[in-house]
Amino acid sequence: MMPSKLYLERLEKIKKTIALENDKPMTSYLGPATPAAYMGVTMAEYVNDLDKNLDVALAYLNAINERTSVDSLNSGALGVKVNVLLAGLWLSRVKMPGRELPENSLWQVEEKKVMQDEDYDLVIEKGYDALVQKIFPQIIDMNELQEFTIYMEKNGANNVKKIIDNDYPIINSGAAAPPFEMLCGARSMTHFFMDCYKKPDKVRAAIEAMLPRMIENMIGAVKGANGMGTWVGGWRGASAMVAPKIWDEFVWPPMYKMGMACIENGIVPTLHLDQNWDRDIARFREFPAKSIIINTDGLTDLRNARKVLGDHAAFMGDVPPQLLSTGTPQQVKNYVKNLIDDIGPQGLFISSGCDAPANAKFENMVAMFEAANEWS
Amino acid sequence: MGAIAQMLAKLEDENLIAEVEKQLSEGVNPLAIFKECQEGMVEVGNMFSSGEYFVSDLMMAGAIFKQVGEIVVPLLGEENTGKVGKVVMGTVKGDIHDIGKDLVIALLNAANFEVVDLGVDVEPGAFIEALEANPDAKILGLSCLLTTAYDAMKETVEAVKKAGLNDRVKIMIGGGSLDQSVVDYTGADRFGMDAQDAVNIAKELM
Repeated sequence: MMPSKLYLERLEKIKKTIALENDKPMTSYLGPATPAAYMGVTMAEYVNDLDKNLDVALAYLNAINERTSVDSLNSGALGVKVNVLLAGLWLSRVKMPGRELPENSLWQVEEKKVMQDEDYDLVIEKGYDALVQKIFPQIIDMNELQEFTIYMEKNGANNVKKIIDNDYPIINSGAAAPPFEMLCGARSMTHFFMDCYKKPDKVRAAIEAMLPRMIENMIGAVKGANGMGTWVGGWRGASAMVAPKIWDEFVWPPMYKMGMACIENGIVPTLHLDQNWDRDIARFREFPAKSIIINTDGLTDLRNARKVLGDHAAFMGDVPPQLLSTGTPQQVKNYVKNLIDDIGPQGLFISSGCDAPANAKFENMVAMFEAANEWS
Repeated sequence: MGAIAQMLAKLEDENLIAEVEKQLSEGVNPLAIFKECQEGMVEVGNMFSSGEYFVSDLMMAGAIFKQVGEIVVPLLGEENTGKVGKVVMGTVKGDIHDIGKDLVIALLNAANFEVVDLGVDVEPGAFIEALEANPDAKILGLSCLLTTAYDAMKETVEAVKKAGLNDRVKIMIGGGSLDQSVVDYTGADRFGMDAQDAVNIAKELM
């Protein structure tokens, strides 16, 4: 079956927004945990029953969409095991509701050193796959991984079809973390930051050893899903987090290479940037014009970013999570309207800053998108 | 600034440890060395506030300070390091994140606060017990990364009031996604923008 006219219109609008040729802001949803409470499902059920996860998320999206248009999904990660996904991104164990955490808790990443000092030599000598093979059994139940792989082989394509049938184009079919982020997860942040000061040669060599295979995997995943784009994420490598000498050598060059590999393969990289990237925002000009989306969480100054980058890149964001959780619909609307007034609608995807939180108020989610759709 | 303070401020860990050991072997008072390290940490804090240093630098400085402390503090004996106050700290119920909390504790220690660390996923009742067991604690620090933990923060603030401790204890909060709106929501007194800001607020609240 062909996608609907609405789906194709939305898809075209995404392309125009990336090219900064849109007249009105685009809306984009990201909230992997947000639907559960509103839809009356426990978090444990929501994250462990993948069919239910997809159906509940779509019902939630449709409830918003009945009020105001949800033009796109930032991420297509619906009907996926979040602990498997995140463990693969950060090489960290993810504690799950209904298992290690209470039924209605949000999943949480365990901050623990699972990559030992000697594992630097393992990855440098034997490569990325050897590191993953050693770490994975420590952070995930391998039976669960296998079950998820089988589930995706059987249901992955149908799940994407369901999303398309509901008229939601997916901007990002994959998610990749640069080596800095993965090492930070595997070593734990405190240890890894110390490594950057105390043994930069090992960090440098490990990143070089990991990067080619990580790029290959990232491109393969998006092409396999016939997707439009992928996340290239930056969390702990944010400018506010690390000293310039660390950022300049260990954060930016691999992130840039991953982004460029996407562009060279016809894939749009969404630079998903948590925390504050103000110090280094001008570096994103190194990407070809109108080829990337910069996706921020409310801590990077988008007004300054627009001044610095001009019409070089599209932005996605950046309604702060605390506003969606504790604010009023009018406060959310004011935030969105002011943002659009200040940086203009061209190349702008209005979305939550990072994930909309699990306790975001439904009326605030509606208000966020309504403000964008009503802007003139 | 003396050599020790300068080395700490420049994050020269190996030079600093060698200098500390040299000065100790020459009979320099351990308390003087410790105070110079604190002076270095103040400089690190200033550099963070002025945008010269970043979180990774704070973490490195905290680790160096801890390393020196392991050498020097056992030698202090009964000497008074001049604690400026006591803080009870923890990550609230439902949240297991500890990086931000631990960084604040490292900087509070360096600023000569005594900190009672209750860990992560702390029930409101456990905070009350710790405050009652430490009647000289004037500050309660609550940390969270998750927005879903705001309610646990609010519950803890209410428990402090219910226990009649709010005249003695001021409550500061911090974490990933926090601003004044979360202070208003939880009923806390102040929020810290970052770890150094938390230290500044703690000094103000004393």
